[in-house]
Amino acid sequence: MLLLLTLAGCGGSQNTLNPHSHPAADIANLFWVMMAVSFGGLALITGLLVFAWVRRGRRGFGADPDDPHPGERPSWFVVVGMGVVFPLMVVIALFVVGNGVIISSTQAPAASSTAMTVDAIGHQWYWAFRYPGTKAVTAGELHIPVRTRVNLVATTADVIHSFWVPELNRKVDTIPGRQNRILLYANTPGVFRGQCAEYCGLQHAHMGMLVIVQSKAQFRTWLAKQSAPAAAPTTALARHGEQIFLDGPCASCHAIRGTSARGFVGPDLTHLASRTTLAGLTIPNRADYLARWIVDSQHFKPGNQMPDFNLSQRQVHALVAYLEGLK
Amino acid sequence: MWQSRPGVLGWVMTTDHKRIGLLYFWTTLVLFGAGGAEALIIRTQLIQPNQHVVGPSTYDQLFTMHGITMIFFFIIPMTTGAFGNYLLPLMLGARDMAFPRMNALSFWIFLGSGIFIYTSLFLGIAPNAGWFDYVPLANAKFDPGHAIDFYCLGIIFNGISSSLTAANFIVTILKMRAPGMSFNRMPLFCFAFLAASWGLLFALPSLTADTIFLFLDRNVGTHFFDVAKGGSTLLWQHLFWIFGHPEVYILIVPAFGIATEIIPAFTQRRVVAFPLVAVAELLVVFIGFGVWAHHMFATGMPTVTVVFFAAATAVVVIPSTIQVFAWCMTFVTGNARFKTPLLFIAGFIFMFVAGGLTGIMFLAVPFDQQVTDTYFVIAHFHYIIFGAAVFPIFGGMYFWFPKVTGKLYFELPGQISFWLIFLGTNLLFFPMHIVGLEGMPRRNYTYPSGLGWGPENLAETIGSYITTVGIVVLLANLLVSYFRGLPAGPDPWHGATLEWTIPSPPPEYNFAVIPKVSSAYANWDYADREEDRRKLAEGVMVLEQGHEQPVSSPVDGWWAEIVEMPHDSPWPILLAVAMSIVFVLLLLHLWMGFCFALAGILLVLLGWHGEEPQEREA
Amino acid sequence: MADYIAGGVPERLVPRTTEARNAGEAKVLAGRRRGPSVAFWGMAMIVASEVTLFGTFIGTYYYLRFNTPHWPPVGTPEPRVVVPLVMVGILATTSLPMQLAARAARRGGLWAARLFLLWALVIQCGYLVYEIHDYVDQLRRSVPQDNAYSSIYYTLLGADHAHVAIGILLVVWLLWKLARGLTMYRLNAVQVVAFYWHAVNLLTLVVIGVLLSATL
Repeated sequence: MLLLLTLAGCGGSQNTLNPHSHPAADIANLFWVMMAVSFGGLALITGLLVFAWVRRGRRGFGADPDDPHPGERPSWFVVVGMGVVFPLMVVIALFVVGNGVIISSTQAPAASSTAMTVDAIGHQWYWAFRYPGTKAVTAGELHIPVRTRVNLVATTADVIHSFWVPELNRKVDTIPGRQNRILLYANTPGVFRGQCAEYCGLQHAHMGMLVIVQSKAQFRTWLAKQSAPAAAPTTALARHGEQIFLDGPCASCHAIRGTSARGFVGPDLTHLASRTTLAGLTIPNRADYLARWIVDSQHFKPGNQMPDFNLSQRQVHALVAYLEGLK
Repeated sequence: MWQSRPGVLGWVMTTDHKRIGLLYFWTTLVLFGAGGAEALIIRTQLIQPNQHVVGPSTYDQLFTMHGITMIFFFIIPMTTGAFGNYLLPLMLGARDMAFPRMNALSFWIFLGSGIFIYTSLFLGIAPNAGWFDYVPLANAKFDPGHAIDFYCLGIIFNGISSSLTAANFIVTILKMRAPGMSFNRMPLFCFAFLAASWGLLFALPSLTADTIFLFLDRNVGTHFFDVAKGGSTLLWQHLFWIFGHPEVYILIVPAFGIATEIIPAFTQRRVVAFPLVAVAELLVVFIGFGVWAHHMFATGMPTVTVVFFAAATAVVVIPSTIQVFAWCMTFVTGNARFKTPLLFIAGFIFMFVAGGLTGIMFLAVPFDQQVTDTYFVIAHFHYIIFGAAVFPIFGGMYFWFPKVTGKLYFELPGQISFWLIFLGTNLLFFPMHIVGLEGMPRRNYTYPSGLGWGPENLAETIGSYITTVGIVVLLANLLVSYFRGLPAGPDPWHGATLEWTIPSPPPEYNFAVIPKVSSAYANWDYADREEDRRKLAEGVMVLEQGHEQPVSSPVDGWWAEIVEMPHDSPWPILLAVAMSIVFVLLLLHLWMGFCFALAGILLVLLGWHGEEPQEREA
Repeated sequence: MADYIAGGVPERLVPRTTEARNAGEAKVLAGRRRGPSVAFWGMAMIVASEVTLFGTFIGTYYYLRFNTPHWPPVGTPEPRVVVPLVMVGILATTSLPMQLAARAARRGGLWAARLFLLWALVIQCGYLVYEIHDYVDQLRRSVPQDNAYSSIYYTLLGADHAHVAIGILLVVWLLWKLARGLTMYRLNAVQVVAFYWHAVNLLTLVVIGVLLSATL
């Protein structure tokens, strides 16, 4: 199966317990403490049940009519003490730490406290990213500078999705008609995987994204490049590919800035070749995969909105050559 | 004393709560099989990365139907429909439910709704937007066709059945208790079912309204959920969870009730802190109505709202911890005999505490928002729903098997089935915590390799197979016991409540003499039982004329009147058929036929109410 | 038969519902019964469920309202105020004859009960006929498909009219039953339907009040 080959080596993990930012670290630490306390609670209850098992059958069969409530008074102390007072204290402590302290370090940042804003737009089934103030538009791969407070604005083009990069912060849903925000921050450069977390239809499973954290200088270079219009094709084959793209059905769904292609159903392809993955992290961005994707995208991602166009081998070849040139 | 009509017709027309309970039992068991099969296909699909057992479209239908089935077509009808129906009147010392024909109607509607919604699966157009069915994904624009219409109508249809059952239970518990059984002499089982019934009665309308809006949006063109025209997608979520969270307690509180019957029987001790436990059972449902928005922490609600609902979620912990410690202390101070039913209850307590502790974690909003919509949540609520609702159902199946069939089950296979199910479910659900923390989202028909999710998923799938084997052993044990078991006698466990005072299986009229009750553990009040036997010999408090049933006042249990109950009746099933036709016609947009079918319903109702109690000759 | 006491009441003092063959006996039996009938409790549950359903509709109305800048939205006509208020006021008066019918039946006044029910029925039918006419008339100016306001407006109003229609069907059925005398079963029915109508009237008042709040 081709599917078996996919995604190995796409990089990045999405482990909530492997935090790479202070918000994610706060949440992970909170979890470890909660887990320790929980195991204590579970051990206590299990201990009581085992204790009862050890002492099973110690009296003869049947209730004692003279003493229908053996040990009732001490039991009340346990029920009220362990069942009301103790859990109340634990829950209040958790509430104060979780919803008083950690909530403020992880929630949507005040507008003035962030250095830049990124728009994440959920589509069935890929993520589009825009950098307000520039013309840069990309898909599937979000670049941000390291140690910078980023104000991420999550919106949707269709149904509810959820923006989630577990190693950087908690998730936030994209609700039609609303702009939900979350703080994005990374301590170190690296590649962090994220995924749509709210069920959004057939290909919910293939709606991944990579957050690529770069040094500030690298990021500035990247953003400048992404803001520029698409590179013109240089070879004859690529020019033929551009012709097919612009004249054929491709341009009605995809945009390539600097050309007449202005579709908005599928991802923006202006700098397609600068990305490492395709189709919401479904396949790596290599010429062979791209060609197979164009021929039969339904094979990789059944139900996605790109139909089969019955292109000839030659046309596909030309298209790939054109798209591979969009650095 | 009256007898049931023999043959198939006797079952079709029955108004006997025990027969209706058994009908519910068999129907829900079949639907449990269906929901379980769906779960097994899901688990097989996820056994390793990039599997292709089923495609995304089938997978979406399977996980949606799994959720719908287990919640609406297994646990609710199994606890309320089967256990509640069969046992409530027996524990209350009553001869029937308050509204026996309405009770039959509940069952036939339930059956109709089950067939209705499963038709969609056989046609390959089952609901596919999750049991939570969020808009806009469920709108006509993103989900054309009939799948979601099946969901809307099936849920409304099923909701009618549950509402009728809830109303019936509440009135039965309040009014049909044996004279002298004041509220504080009522078994904890009945408190639990009272709480669950109140929950159903007040929670379901919210879901009904929600699905009506969605049906109108999809089929009439209204704009309840259309943001462009002033609607709101969050409206769906609010209304859904105003139902959906009380629903969780509706699922588990009856199971608490089952536990509070099994524990005294096998520890030979009354439940510790009885009044606290009774109040806690009612409180947990009541507070459960105030926590719905904790399912929506990631939707970007204002922080104040989020924190308020987190606080409410913190409060709902307390009634549960009270009950857990009361059960445990009953184990400790009593004289526990770890027979199969009690093993299931011990397993239930373990699973409930484990699931409850992860539940407490969710009141920390940042953590909730990190792991919500991942397998961590699936682990949490399966520990609650499988561990805390289904374990007591299994325990209750063993516990009341001798009462219902008059036969004893086999103990060794029973214990084997417990350990298989206990180990299987833990192997099935515990790794889900880990894989959820490792970032695996829910509702994905497949997942990539290279993220380290493979071993956990493999373990989960193996666990699901072991659990299945355990359930098969359980059912086989009960089936063989039915034919080969030793006679049980009326009271094999020295149980605490009134059902153990009468023969097994119970006669149609339940109680030959209306029992005297002076505590919640009536079967252990030996003097009262002695008096019942004397009264039977003398022929008093027998009410042998016709189909008679005493009615009491709701709080003190004063004897208020003697009412004549209806006999077998064809009208409930006819009404359910007429209603099924109405829903099918709605689905198909046959509006004229729909109006005719409504008229048909009125005619059936006229016939129904043409049967009045016969006045006696002077 | 020895006189055993169960729940504080001796068996011979407990009324049997099947012992009332006429209005006079029903009156005597009803006097000996403690508290409301089982049927009344059943109806209370149905009403509780319906009230919750309407409560959800009303909650939806305000949820949508507070999410919308203009209510009703620009271009959608405001509901008329005076006529609906007068009509709902007239409908509310039928609680009186319904209650009087229940009281008369309880006292064995079969004819009085029938007449009070008829009185109520005439007003209720008049209300429903006018309101359906009005509903159709309003649909000429705006339709539920216009916007979320219209959607909830027509749904809530339509649900309330359906509620009134069910109440009317119950009264018609009652009159038909009472044509053949009074028994405990039918006495219960009169009391229960009277209770149902109080709920219908109260809900109609609330619903109309909610819908007219858009003009404030």
